[in-house]
Amino acid sequence: MKEENKVIDERYVYKPKKRKLKPFEIINGIIFVIISLIIIVPIWKVLVDSLDAKTAYGLNLLPQTFSLVGYKIIVTTESLYRPFIISIVTTLAGTFLGLLLSTLGAYVLIQYEMPLRNLFANLLLFTMLFNGGMIPTYLVYKQLHFTNTLLAVLIPLSINVYNLVLMRNFFDGIPKGLFEAAAIDGCSPMRIFIQIVLPLSKAALASIGLMFAVGFWNDYTNYKLYITDSKWYNFQMKLRGMMLGSDLPTASGVSENTLKNSAVMVAIIPFMIIYPFCQQYFVKGVNIGAVKE
Amino acid sequence: MSKKKKNQVSSKPLSARIYNHRWFYLMFLPVLVFIIVNNYLPMLGLRYAWYNYNGVKEPVFVGWDNFAKMFSKAGFWRAFYNTLQLSIIKLILNTFAAVIISILLNEMVNLAFKKFTQTLIYLPHFMSWVVTASVFGLILAPTDQGLVNTILKAIGVVDGTAESPYIYFLGSKTWWRPVYYVINLWKDTGWGTIIFMATLAGISPELYEAAQIDGAGRWQRMKYITLPSLANTIITVLILNLAKVMNLFESVFVLMNDIVVEQSDVLATYIYSQTFNSGTIPNFGYTTAVGLARSVVGCFLVLVCNYASKKTRGKGIV
Repeated sequence: MKEENKVIDERYVYKPKKRKLKPFEIINGIIFVIISLIIIVPIWKVLVDSLDAKTAYGLNLLPQTFSLVGYKIIVTTESLYRPFIISIVTTLAGTFLGLLLSTLGAYVLIQYEMPLRNLFANLLLFTMLFNGGMIPTYLVYKQLHFTNTLLAVLIPLSINVYNLVLMRNFFDGIPKGLFEAAAIDGCSPMRIFIQIVLPLSKAALASIGLMFAVGFWNDYTNYKLYITDSKWYNFQMKLRGMMLGSDLPTASGVSENTLKNSAVMVAIIPFMIIYPFCQQYFVKGVNIGAVKE
Repeated sequence: MSKKKKNQVSSKPLSARIYNHRWFYLMFLPVLVFIIVNNYLPMLGLRYAWYNYNGVKEPVFVGWDNFAKMFSKAGFWRAFYNTLQLSIIKLILNTFAAVIISILLNEMVNLAFKKFTQTLIYLPHFMSWVVTASVFGLILAPTDQGLVNTILKAIGVVDGTAESPYIYFLGSKTWWRPVYYVINLWKDTGWGTIIFMATLAGISPELYEAAQIDGAGRWQRMKYITLPSLANTIITVLILNLAKVMNLFESVFVLMNDIVVEQSDVLATYIYSQTFNSGTIPNFGYTTAVGLARSVVGCFLVLVCNYASKKTRGKGIV
């Protein structure tokens, strides 16, 4: 019975003909192989050299003398792993703070009948137009004694009006009836926020949260401006110091360049691990922005 | 709280509305505090542009002196032109490359390979400028350990001796700008394709079918269907990015060095080096004045772009 079915199926099933590739399609494919190589080779070369104990790297695209000593030094030297921990802590805390401020601000901005709502919206939008600039901001942070504390690197990136507006656009799409029904049932605004708005916005929270996380992980400017005490450096600061040659630990058994290559890899590995799983959220984030009303 | 109660007596509806929204005011408080500390207090600090202030002594009012000094300094004008030149050329190159790559991606037949390529070319966008500068610093190193110079040596362009030394790409007055543009292309072209790919995905396949029936070849289809439908998106991308021309900082800051200051110094790096690296006691007043000029030009550009955006696509950017 089954056999017979199969025969019939094969007879009637639509089979696309194996089309021969046209010359253009072959050339196009080759172009993208080359583009992929251009993107990947610099990163691949750094990875390979970070695993190579020899320093005469040459053109080899695989390590000659495989060794993990560069990485070992990074995870065992306090002046190198401490910045990594600072990076993780500020990324987690900053992403939380950023999402908190964006969602709170966005939730208030969709209360259209609230007195002063327009003033608040304009206060936020004006900051996208005009800013005090680097030096006045630096002086404010200094006068408030934020410099050389992690507050100085958490505040500037966590209040992001662009992300707040993205979040508001997303909240605007939630049917108003839901809020009204909940309010009639005696739900407080805070409870509506936590039990209705946030659970309905998981996709936006993921996209915008990832944007915040990348921003905090990659932050260098705010550390450079506000942090002078190397105790509070993040990994980007440390990496920069190492590349400029001023901040290399006096380690034995490894060449300067292998250590530099390893440090570059350590700075991107956490992202590389989550990237394949989260790529769709990153792309979604851009598209929420692109279709902003 | 007491003020609200007073209002309740005088104008009932407004006070009732305020009372109904009392929790929302509380929720907005943290946002307000952050925005005041990070954005509005610094705007008050802009007054230092009319003072001489070194952070220790009391500020001394000097009128327009700081602005006069700024306009008479060659370093300021150099930074101003570099800002415009680097950002605008970068913008044009990146947009052009992103359009070409999007069109080619759109023509790709193998969907798995297309997906893989897309994932890969978005990747560099997420690497910090410090990492990017480090990767290229290592690849372009003027020693036998730098990949590019090793290749150049292998094909006989340089040989690492005194007569034909390795090329120090990031420390050469002729090479710095081209290398800067190439690094930007490497980092952001892929990410730039997303918005164009979204537009291309919206083109009706019927258009292509109809054209094919009418006998249009691949090039004609690209020329008469794909490219015109991208025109609006291209203008949008150019306008959105033109508004950010003055923001150029970190990418230049991590790639520049003392040898190429003339080619690379932009307004933000000029402000930074005048304040923190000048070797003398900084005059915050002067650098605030330069920053104010930068903000004003930036604000002007945003307004122009907002106007242009409203004209071309019926909606503003802020």
